[in-house]
Amino acid sequence: MRKFWGLRVSDRKQNLPQLYRFSFLMLGDSRKAQEVFHSTLREAAQRAAHGDLPQEPFWLFREARWRCLEFDKHELQPEPIKLEERDLTPRAATQIDQLDPAQLAVWISAAPEPQRTAMALFYLDEFDYRDILDIAELKLNELSRCLAQGRRELQAWLDAKFPETRSV
Amino acid sequence: MSIPWSSRAQRALLNCAPIRQDRSTDRSMRAAVSRAGGSDDFVNQQSFDCAVAELVRLIPIPPETAEWFSEKDATGHSKWTWRKMVRNPAVLATSIALLVIAGVFAWQVLTRLHDFPGSATARKLLTVASSTRPVMLDPVSTEAGTLSDLFFMKHALEHYDVPDEFADLKTIGSRVFEDEESHRIAQIWLVENRMQLFLFPAERDTKTGAVLRFPGWRYVHQEGWVGAVKEHSGVCFMAALHGREKDLEPYIGKNKE
Repeated sequence: MRKFWGLRVSDRKQNLPQLYRFSFLMLGDSRKAQEVFHSTLREAAQRAAHGDLPQEPFWLFREARWRCLEFDKHELQPEPIKLEERDLTPRAATQIDQLDPAQLAVWISAAPEPQRTAMALFYLDEFDYRDILDIAELKLNELSRCLAQGRRELQAWLDAKFPETRSV
Repeated sequence: MSIPWSSRAQRALLNCAPIRQDRSTDRSMRAAVSRAGGSDDFVNQQSFDCAVAELVRLIPIPPETAEWFSEKDATGHSKWTWRKMVRNPAVLATSIALLVIAGVFAWQVLTRLHDFPGSATARKLLTVASSTRPVMLDPVSTEAGTLSDLFFMKHALEHYDVPDEFADLKTIGSRVFEDEESHRIAQIWLVENRMQLFLFPAERDTKTGAVLRFPGWRYVHQEGWVGAVKEHSGVCFMAALHGREKDLEPYIGKNKE
C-alpha cells in the first residue's frame, strides 16, 4: 500500500480523501477525478524525492485544481448560457437529500470557472473563506458572487428536478 | 425577513459564511454572521449549505484511490490490534528471540535446580569414571570401608571415609590422583555393578573458606552415568555407575533426601 505521510497528510488542509472529492466535484467523473488525484500525488512524491516539495499550505489542492483546469482544455466546453435563478427555500435541504453525490458533482462540474472551483472548495467544508480566496486566487466579492449565484442556480435546478406538489 | 443593516461588504462575507458555526473565522465574519442573526435568508442559506456539504461528504472514495491512504489514516493513526501487532515482522522476530532466550533460561534453571556445592566436580568425576579402566587402579581386594585407613595413612587424606551404605562392598582397586585444580581425589572400583566410588574435597566458600554443606544424598548425571553424592566432614563421597538413579537407590535407600 502506498502511503503519503511524507507530505504531512495529517494536516487537515492536506486531507487526501477531500482532495479526491474536490477533483470529483471539479470534473464530475470518477475516472477523471482519479487520474487527477493520482497525477497530483505522483507529482508531489517526485518533488518530495527531490526535496523540493513546496511547503506552502494547500499546495496539493492548488495543483489538483490546475490539473482539473488543464484536463478540461481538451474536453468539449459547454456553451455559456444564463441559468435560471431562484431564491433559496426552506425545502431546499429536503430536495438536496434526494440527490445522489454524483448528480451534485455533475452539476458543479458543469458550472463556469471560477464558480465551479469556488463551489467545489466551499462545499468540501474543509476551508475557511480566506483559504478559498487563496487557493482559487479570487477576491472576496468574486467568491461571494460565485457562491450566491451558484446557490440560486442550484435551487432553480432543484425546483425543476423536484417540483413542489401542491394539494388542491 | 431580510438581513438587516448589512453593508455590501457584510453581504459579501455572509455569502461565504462557514457552513459550521463552530469553524474558527475572523472577527469581521463573526460580526456579519452575528448581525444576520436568525434572518430567514441566512437560515435558508445555512440549511442549504449544510445539506450540500453533507451530500459532498457522501462522495465515495474508489478503492484504487483509497490505496494512497485509509480513512483511519486521514483521521489519525490506524487502530491497534493484536492481530496486526503479531503479524509485524519485527514483533514476530522479537517474540521468537524472547521465546528462545526463555527456553534457554528455563533449561538452565531446570538443569541447575538440583545443583549443590560440589556438583560441578561430581560431574567431572563422572566423566573420569566413564573413561577409567580397571588396570589404571592399584589392585586391592577388600571391603570399601577399610580403605579409609589406607587413604589416611598412605596419602594423609583425612575424613576420606566410605559411608556405611557402601562400606561392606568388595573392591577391585583404588587410586589417589589430583584433578586440574590440584584437589586430591580418591577413586575406588567395586566388584558390584562395576560401580566406582569417589572421595573429594567439598566445595568451600571463596571468601571465608568455610565448607559449603548440603544435607543427605544428591544425584548428578553426566553422559549416561549417575552419581549419588553426600558431604561429610568437608569431604564429598560419590557412588557412580553407568545407569539411572533407580540403580543407586537400593544402596542409599531411605537416607536420600
